[in-house]
Amino acid sequence: MNRRRFMTLTGSTLAMLGGGRAFAQQAQPRLRIDPTEFQPVPIAITNFLPGSPSDGDVGNGVTQVITNNLKRSGLFAPIDQAAFIERISNIDVAPQFQNWKTINAQALVTGRMTRQPDGRLKAEFRLWDVVSGQQLAGQQYFTSPEYWRRIAHIISDQIYERMTGEKGYFDSRVVFVDETGPKERRVKRLAIMDQDGANVRYLTRGAELVLTPRFSPNSQEITYMEFGQGDPKVYLYNIETGQREIVGNFPGMTFAPRFSPDGQRVIMSLQQGGNSNLFVMDLRSRSTTRLTDTPAIDTSPSYSPDGTRICFESDRGGRPQIYVMAAGGGAAQRISFSKDDTNASYSTPVWSPRGDYIAFTKQGGGQFSIGVIKPDGTGERLLTSGYHNEGPTFSPNGRVLMFFRDPGGAGGPSLFSVDISGRNELKVPTPGFASDPAWSPLLSSTSGQ
Amino acid sequence: MKVNVDKTLVASIALHVLVIGWGLVTFSSRAFVAPEESLPIDIISSDQLAQITAGQKTGEKDKPKPKVEKIAEAKPEEDAVGKVTEKKELIKTNSTPEPPPKPVEKPVEKKPEPPKPVAEAKPKEEPKPQEKKPDPAKEDPIAELQKKLETKKPPPKPPEPKVAAVQQQPKPKERPFDPAQIQRELDKRATTRHELTGTTMNASASLGSTTGTAVTNVATWRGAFQGAVKRCFTPTYNGQDADQYEADIDIPMKIDGSLASEPIVVAVRGPSRSIAQAVAESAKRAIVQCQVYSFMPKQQYDSWKLIPMTFGLKDML
Repeated sequence: MNRRRFMTLTGSTLAMLGGGRAFAQQAQPRLRIDPTEFQPVPIAITNFLPGSPSDGDVGNGVTQVITNNLKRSGLFAPIDQAAFIERISNIDVAPQFQNWKTINAQALVTGRMTRQPDGRLKAEFRLWDVVSGQQLAGQQYFTSPEYWRRIAHIISDQIYERMTGEKGYFDSRVVFVDETGPKERRVKRLAIMDQDGANVRYLTRGAELVLTPRFSPNSQEITYMEFGQGDPKVYLYNIETGQREIVGNFPGMTFAPRFSPDGQRVIMSLQQGGNSNLFVMDLRSRSTTRLTDTPAIDTSPSYSPDGTRICFESDRGGRPQIYVMAAGGGAAQRISFSKDDTNASYSTPVWSPRGDYIAFTKQGGGQFSIGVIKPDGTGERLLTSGYHNEGPTFSPNGRVLMFFRDPGGAGGPSLFSVDISGRNELKVPTPGFASDPAWSPLLSSTSGQ
Repeated sequence: MKVNVDKTLVASIALHVLVIGWGLVTFSSRAFVAPEESLPIDIISSDQLAQITAGQKTGEKDKPKPKVEKIAEAKPEEDAVGKVTEKKELIKTNSTPEPPPKPVEKPVEKKPEPPKPVAEAKPKEEPKPQEKKPDPAKEDPIAELQKKLETKKPPPKPPEPKVAAVQQQPKPKERPFDPAQIQRELDKRATTRHELTGTTMNASASLGSTTGTAVTNVATWRGAFQGAVKRCFTPTYNGQDADQYEADIDIPMKIDGSLASEPIVVAVRGPSRSIAQAVAESAKRAIVQCQVYSFMPKQQYDSWKLIPMTFGLKDML
C-alpha cells in the first residue's frame, strides 16, 4: 500500500512537473481587447487641389461633400482643417506622415480635380494609412462637370469601403413624398434627391395624393400608390423618361407595392371586401398570382434579398404583426412578439438588403418606434421611439435606416436616419416636410469585396 | 483449562500491531498533507487574476500596517520638521495662485453652513484638512494637528460661546486668500510622511505587499499593455453582429518596447471576411500608433518578446 501510495504520489508529482513544463513551453494565452465604446476614426480630408485655377471651387466642393458624407456616417470623425500642419501641394508625393500623426489622424485623403481639354472633369484621390504610411486606395474618374457631386459620393464610398470592409451607401438616392401647404390642404408630391439631401427633383405636380414610393432594383423606376379619381392605384414611374403606367387593373384598391429583387415582379396588397390579400404581378406577362387568402388584412409585403421569402404585416392574429412566408405563398410564421407590451402592434416590415434584419414600425405604449428584428424573430431591438415614427427604409448596405417622424401639431413630418445599432440619429435635410422615404440601391458599384 | 500461549506468538502480534499502528499514523498524515501541497499549484496556473490581486489590490491594504509601526518612532518627526523647512523655501517661489484657492473655497462654502448646527461644526472642520492631505498618513496628521492645536489653538476647547468665536475666526482668516499657509501644510505631509514611511518600511509599497509577486508579475505588464493598445483601437464596425468579429494578431517586440516588425495577422473571424479584415487593419493601426511601450519590464523580455493578442468587438453592443 505504501508503495502504491508512494508510486501514486511520485507519479502525480512527475505528472505535475511535466505538466508544468508543458505549460511553460506552451504559447502564452492571447491577450484580448474588446473596446467598450465605439469611437469614430479620426480622418484628415484635405482640399482637392485644382488642376487649373478655375477648378478651385469644384475641388473644395468635392472635399465638402466627402467630409459631410463620412461625418454623417458616424464611423468617421473628419479633423478640422484648421488643425492641419502640412499643406498638400502635390498629391503625387507621399505626405509627411508625422505631421498627420501629430494631429491624431489615422487616415488621410488627398485629391485633385482637373478639367480636361475635352471639357470633362478628372477626379483623382488617394487614401493613406497615416500610421503605416501606406496607400490604401487610389483612383481616378472622368465625368461631366455637372456630376461632380456624384464623383464625391463615389469617392466617399471608396473610402468607406476600404476602411470598414463594407460597401458604402453615399452614391444613392432617396425618393420621398414632399409635403407643402397647410395641414388640411397638404399638397403631396413625389420627390427624389441624393441621400445627403442635395439635388432635389420633383416627379409629380401634386394634383393627386401619392404614397409609398419604392425604387426598382435598377434605380430607374419607382412604383407608388396614387389616390386619383376613384380607387387608389399602383403606378410605375420611369425616372429617366418621366412616363408612368398603372400596374394591373384591379376592381378594388391596391396598396403598398414593392419590387422583387430581380425587378421582374411587383408585390402588393389588393383589397377585396373588408379584407386585403397579397398578390404578385409579373411585369412582363402582367399575370397576377394570389399569395394569401385570409379573412384578414395582409399588407406591406417585402421580399428577402434572395427573393425566396416575403415578410408582411397581417392582423390575422387580432393585432397587426409581422409574418414571414415563402415567396410563393403558403404557411406564414409570425415573428413579432412584444415582450413588454402584449397589446403592441408591428407594421411596415422591410427586409434588409443584407438579409440579416427586418425593420419595422412598432406601436405600443402610446409611442411609435422604429426597430429591427432577425428574420427568425429573435434579436428585436428598438432604435428610436417617439410620438410618431414610421416607414423605415434601409440604406443600400443595410447599415443605416431612414424613416419619417411627425411631431404632431401644426408641423409636419421630417426625414431622419439612424444607424442600425441605434446610434447617430440625424435629420435628413429636405426643402419642406417629407414622409415615406425609400432608399435606392447603390447607383454605381464600387470595387468588389 | 490451561491454554498454552506461545510467548513468541504474542510478541510477534504485539510487534505487528505496533508497526501497523505506527504506519497508519505516519502515512495517513503524509497522505493528508500531500493534496494540500498540490492545491496552490493548481490555483496559480489556472488563473492569472490571482497574481493580479496579489500584486496590486492587496498592496493598498498592506500599507497601513507598516506605517503604524513607523509612527511609533519619534525621530522621523524631527527629520520631517527639517524637511518641511527646506520645502517652505520652494513653496515661496512656486506660489501658484490657482491650485490653492480651490481647496480653500470649499471650506469657506461649508463654513457658512455649520454655524447653524454649532455642535456639528467642529468635527466637520477637522476632517476636511485630513481629506485634502495625503491619505496614507492618517495618524501622523492627527499628531501634527494636535500639536498645532496645542500651540496655536489652545482656547477653542472652552464652552459654546467660545466655540462660536473659533468658528468665526477661520472666516476672517480667509485661508483662500492666503494660499501659502495651506501649501505649507499640504507639503509637510506630502513630502515627509510619504517618503519616510515608503522608503523605510515598505520598499515595494507602490506595487503591493512584500510577499506579493508584483515585481515579477507577468499579469501586470499584460494589463498595462492591453490598456495602452485599447486606447488607440477604434474599429469602424458597430453592427449588431459585431460580437462575431475577431482578429488574432502576433506582435513582435523589441526590448525597448517598440515593435520589432509589423504586427502579424494570424487569423480573422466573422461573417464577412472584408469586415473582419478591416477590424484586423484597425487593430494593426492601434498597435503601431500606440508604441513605444516603454513600461514593459525588461527583465521579463522573454515573456513578451512575441505578444499574441486577439481583438474583438463583443463589448461594443
